[in-house]
Amino acid sequence: MEAIRNAVDFSDFPWSDRMLALAVFCLLLIFPLFPYSAFAMATMIQFFIFSLYGMGWNTIGGYGGQVDLGKAQYVGIGAYTTMVCLLRWDIPFWVSMPIGACLAMAWSFIIGYPLFKLKGHYFAIATIATSLVLKDIFEVWKFVGAARGLGILPYKYQSPDFLRLIFKEDLYYYYVIFAFFVIGLLYMNWFRKSRLGYQLRSIKDNEDMARSLGINVHWAKIKTYAIATAFVSVVGSFHAVYIKNIEPEDTMSLDISILIALMAMLGGAGSLWGPIIGAGILIPLKNYLKEWLGAAAGLLGIDLVIYGVIIMLISAFEPRGIWGIVEKVRRRKRI
Amino acid sequence: MALLDVQNLVKAFGGLKANDDVSFSLQKGELLGLIGPNGAGKTTLFNCIAGMFPPSSGRIVFNGEDVTALGAHAMARRGLARTFQVYVAAGDLNVLENVMVGCFLRTRSPARARARAEGILENLRLRELRHSLVSELPVAAQKRVTMATALSTEPILLLLDEVAAGLNSSEIEDIMANIRRIHRDLGVTVMLIEHVMELVMNISDRLIVLDYGKKIAEGDPKQVAKDPQVIKAYLGERYVRERTTL
Repeated sequence: MEAIRNAVDFSDFPWSDRMLALAVFCLLLIFPLFPYSAFAMATMIQFFIFSLYGMGWNTIGGYGGQVDLGKAQYVGIGAYTTMVCLLRWDIPFWVSMPIGACLAMAWSFIIGYPLFKLKGHYFAIATIATSLVLKDIFEVWKFVGAARGLGILPYKYQSPDFLRLIFKEDLYYYYVIFAFFVIGLLYMNWFRKSRLGYQLRSIKDNEDMARSLGINVHWAKIKTYAIATAFVSVVGSFHAVYIKNIEPEDTMSLDISILIALMAMLGGAGSLWGPIIGAGILIPLKNYLKEWLGAAAGLLGIDLVIYGVIIMLISAFEPRGIWGIVEKVRRRKRI
Repeated sequence: MALLDVQNLVKAFGGLKANDDVSFSLQKGELLGLIGPNGAGKTTLFNCIAGMFPPSSGRIVFNGEDVTALGAHAMARRGLARTFQVYVAAGDLNVLENVMVGCFLRTRSPARARARAEGILENLRLRELRHSLVSELPVAAQKRVTMATALSTEPILLLLDEVAAGLNSSEIEDIMANIRRIHRDLGVTVMLIEHVMELVMNISDRLIVLDYGKKIAEGDPKQVAKDPQVIKAYLGERYVRERTTL
């Protein structure tokens, strides 16, 4: 009971924040009523997908302070599980999604145990390495379609298919991922006030101190890593049925891992709204840059240049991102 | 039965023996002082007892159980708490949240942890500071916060590492009152490292003196202070020789 109350309780944010969040929520709810644009719809769905990735990353990377650059491997595990289950055995999405999450979590425990013996940069590099290795395995693994990947042929299914989550119109996908987004947000709101949430912040603060307060630091990190993994894997499953065509190169690439971490850090690592703010800025920017500057003006790779600049700006000026700036200003006002 | 029994403890860092064959025991309800010149191995001894790192050899028995080389979190669970000499806070936890983290050792419920943390802060007269960041506080308040944080795990043995260092005399009075309150009212057994003699002489039931990793004296504070070995360790060989020839 206390858990549910904590999940829906946003009262520690100022009144103005809550009103703003409510307004954005209503706007997102009625977004499909606006004149239809395939570009805007795709961007919005991507925004939700990456917000959720970012929320997952934020547990271990933000609250726990362990910079994880290997989230793409779990996107891959989730996406491939759902895809393989659907194509080979016609298992519906709602069954394959939890299976994928379990497989991803099992994998995260296996690699999490040695990974968390490492600290700081070494940890970050090791996460990149594990992700790349898994991607390479998928690229030569015939069972999952090797480098060509797997694809759903949508005409084989009757749209709307709520069991398999196969729709012709993006509108359905919009509301499904929106529901995931709301659940994810409520979970994160509970998480940040939970025992594990506080313990992680203490670990980020000072590991020796955390240990002396009775926290099993290694185990707490592994647990949180599994939570982050579950988030990413579930959304990866959704990604598979939404995109309908997955291959290792775009579901499990390093770009995805970096984008996930970057978004959460830009918005504000270790804050509830950070990943959402980050995704809200970067996803439209990325799509816009790709569509107009990349394709039209021939400035390919301009999005990568922008990411580089953002990373430099964050690390130089405000490691806690946009939300960090907001909090700093508020603190100064109070004093 | 002793609450804490340290037997022939050795901790070596490479060729340097930071603790060399240290043995002592601590009774329940005692207030034990640990003194010695800089680099004598006092904090290393604390770290070994608290499980921050395992000793090279020797045995530590806590509450009737052999806890040698048990991890720090396991020691906290068994009722041992410690403060740190230097408190480095990089994060964004405020005073209340810091204390709450420790309270979570005994409860899963955030509401209960918060209530307990508020109680501890009230007890140590830190209530007004509960929303400040620890790094923003003056030294004296930081020291009190580390004590509050250590108490939050509901310890039966509390190790205090130089809680009076860098404080002025009225602040020392204040810390002393706090230690007494923890010891007497909460019934917590206390062991403290201290350089401030005025505090440690006043408050301890018994003293242990370390020098170059070895235990050189043990006993009543007043007697220990007169021990030539101890004076030599603190003031040097020549000082003792001159005093005796005079």
